[in-house]
Amino acid sequence: MIFYNHDKEVITDFITYEPRSCFIMTQLGSPIPSELTEIRSDLLIELQKRNIRELDANSYIKGRDFLNKIWRQILAVPTGIAVLTKDMKVSTISNIFYEVGVLNALGKETIVIKTKDFKIPSDFIRTEYIEYDTDFSDKINKFFDQVFDLADHYEIMGESLESNPLLAIDYYKRAYLITGDSKYFRKTEEVMKGLKFDLQSKHYIDNFLSTEKRLKMKEKK
Amino acid sequence: MAQKKGIGQTKNPRTGKYVKIDRDKGKIISTKKSDGPYKNVPVIRKKKD
Repeated sequence: MIFYNHDKEVITDFITYEPRSCFIMTQLGSPIPSELTEIRSDLLIELQKRNIRELDANSYIKGRDFLNKIWRQILAVPTGIAVLTKDMKVSTISNIFYEVGVLNALGKETIVIKTKDFKIPSDFIRTEYIEYDTDFSDKINKFFDQVFDLADHYEIMGESLESNPLLAIDYYKRAYLITGDSKYFRKTEEVMKGLKFDLQSKHYIDNFLSTEKRLKMKEKK
Repeated sequence: MAQKKGIGQTKNPRTGKYVKIDRDKGKIISTKKSDGPYKNVPVIRKKKD
């Protein structure tokens, strides 16, 4: 698979995959609306219950272009959550929906959390959203249940598509990003056995498989 | 020679729709527009770990 950068060049270095993580798209600069603080705090509780790490554009400070950083973060995660409140500026909302679009195009799971008075733009009317209210915990957990069910679906898809190894591996990678289960590395190695791949495909697979080693080294530190 | 697996289907939990797959060719054939499974197409189960 070929991934492009926002400057239209192909990404040829490794993406640092982040299993069991979630990219939060929302207003990060001050002044943060009080409703947003409340939503993020409740969301964090639910994410922690499921051992899912919260990431946003401020999670890593790297001396790179900001948009480049966001693209790479989006490539690294399985899921994105947009949080929108009625008091946000149009420029902030535009950035958020741009990112939701990038996530959708890359096959990532997305959901919009919005306050009651926030109106969803018409192009996103089919994008799933939940309203922040007293049932928030139930609604967000229903979404996460679906995401984890999807990992099982991706596993079945991967197993069913093993005659097309690259496609099968892509499904295993997506299942891995959701669950963090290392069995998907073994399944990938099994699919690869005895096969020769072109350079770009090999790079893509090596990038995925290197995640296991990287995370083990991180654990040791 | 590899065992022929043929065409099967599985339900996407997000869309609720069934996806038909040709397992020998490694291709997704179609996604069902209406609810319920395709007729006469076996449902694929996950392999045991």
